[in-house]
Amino acid sequence: MTNILFSLAPESILTITALLVLGLGVSVPNSRSLITSAALLGGLIAAAAILLFPMDANLLHGMVVINPLARIFKLVILGLSLVSVVFASESFPKNHFAESLALILFSTIGMMVLVGTEDLLMIFLALELTSIPLYILAAFDKESSGSAEAGLKYFLIGSVSSAFLLYGLSLIYGVTGSTNLLTISQLSGSPDSLLIAGIVLTLAGFGFKIAAVPFQIWAPDVYAGAPTAAAALIASGSKVAGIFILARILTTGLGHWAGAAGWGQFEPGWAPVLALMAAASIVLGNVTALVQSNVKRLLAYSAIAHGGYLLLGLCSANRESLTAVLFYVVIYALTTAGAFGVVAIVEKQRGGSRLEDFDGLSKSSPVLALCLLVFFISLAGIPPLAGFFGKFYLFTSALANGQHLWLVIVAIAMNAVSLYYYLIVLKHAFVLPAPDDIRPANAPASKILVAALALAVLALGLAPDLLLKPISVAGKTPPHIATSTVPPNDQ
Amino acid sequence: MTSDYLLLSIFLAIAVVFPLVPLAMAWTFARLLSPAKPGKDKQSSYECGIESTGPAQVQFQSHYYLYALVFLIFDVETVFLMPFAAAFLKLPISAFFALMVFVLLLVEGLVWAWAKGILAWK
Repeated sequence: MTNILFSLAPESILTITALLVLGLGVSVPNSRSLITSAALLGGLIAAAAILLFPMDANLLHGMVVINPLARIFKLVILGLSLVSVVFASESFPKNHFAESLALILFSTIGMMVLVGTEDLLMIFLALELTSIPLYILAAFDKESSGSAEAGLKYFLIGSVSSAFLLYGLSLIYGVTGSTNLLTISQLSGSPDSLLIAGIVLTLAGFGFKIAAVPFQIWAPDVYAGAPTAAAALIASGSKVAGIFILARILTTGLGHWAGAAGWGQFEPGWAPVLALMAAASIVLGNVTALVQSNVKRLLAYSAIAHGGYLLLGLCSANRESLTAVLFYVVIYALTTAGAFGVVAIVEKQRGGSRLEDFDGLSKSSPVLALCLLVFFISLAGIPPLAGFFGKFYLFTSALANGQHLWLVIVAIAMNAVSLYYYLIVLKHAFVLPAPDDIRPANAPASKILVAALALAVLALGLAPDLLLKPISVAGKTPPHIATSTVPPNDQ
Repeated sequence: MTSDYLLLSIFLAIAVVFPLVPLAMAWTFARLLSPAKPGKDKQSSYECGIESTGPAQVQFQSHYYLYALVFLIFDVETVFLMPFAAAFLKLPISAFFALMVFVLLLVEGLVWAWAKGILAWK
């Protein structure tokens, strides 16, 4: 009992914080700064709880699993959610402001539980806890019809995908007789048709969650319509949690049934499915982004393409590629959160996020334009920024076993295409003249945070070991050793 | 195995025939014996409540939905409190605190809804 309380201390602290924020929302509804600082303080205490009292635990047969890797990702997710709290504090509508912050925190709790479990049931519950607040957040701007559309589309498609996922997980449970990933991984032998159906349905469910082709249809509308701070969380935090748990299910639980996705040597399993989804996402995401006129939609298609790169890394299913995927998803989340921050400030200045709204940004706010340059160049994967090293590790680790050359060729060719649309945005920001009617944006905290994120992207590009080494070291501990605090007779 | 399915198919056949026979008989007798004289009283729905008036698709306030949600708080609370109360004397003290946390969470929901003005009828 006390073990559970201590292992879930960060989540409990966040829950209490969210309830406190709700209470502040009804007692002092007009004090935005007080409500925001309460939410930030709670988040920082939760982060301190993770950092200062690191403990490994495996409770209730894998329902709660805390190991070094889970701790790193809990911290990353917490950081990303605090970033979107700050963006929300300066861009969300005045009505029901405290509730929006509480929803961000509730969703964060879901993501943190998600990275700290090895049980199919808990994975599903935590995914729902993550998604439901995000549905509400997407529809939070009640005066914008785009936001209502985003919320409805996200909710409908999200709940259908949850049904797919639940059905897939229940088939996996039906075949293997366990909801615990480690127990599932101890079964081997060739997969029967029921298990294959379960794997495919699970992949379809996760495909929706991480917006991989052919399940990507919701992403552009939601990214463009949702309030920008909510879109930042959907694009960063929930993506990190989704990729992390997909990687854990595939490599820890279903590692025996990977199959092979080499060119001309397909073997049944999840790897060929993943490879096709990756190739389709990379091609469709990058090509469709070329014709976008709204920067948020452009970021959505870029997110689809990056989802493809991440799936490409997952296909290999060895430890190096897993490290590379986890490294890249963190880099991508930091970069895209920053990019959405820039969009939020520009929206405040010019009232929209079309390409023309970025005209002459370098004249009107040079620092912001510089941050935009860092984020987009990093997304395009140009050294010395973090995005380059992320892609470099991803592609080299995918090439390591020699099977996925065709996927890497597709990815690199399409990455060259992606440079074009990132540079289009930068051309608007740096080359075209600025319009006259620019409102000054009163968003000091967002500006500081965007600059900090840009510095972080630059720093991780110059010294990728800062993040790569902890992930690699934490990932080296095999799961059955990292989680061996429960004696074997406890089963 | 085969005989199981045989039994099932016989069961299915009887299940289909059994209601069809009286229906066919009723239809045959009606065609042969009764004259067709429809009237207002004969066409009315027999003993099914009072005659309905007005269109069925009326609009009602969506406000009811919020009341239903708040009612759910009490509803769920009762469902969990009943077994707790029944086993109260056998439970350890920690169970009491766990349930108090649960009740407090629901109470905060209610207080929040109240303070937001959801319970005031507009």
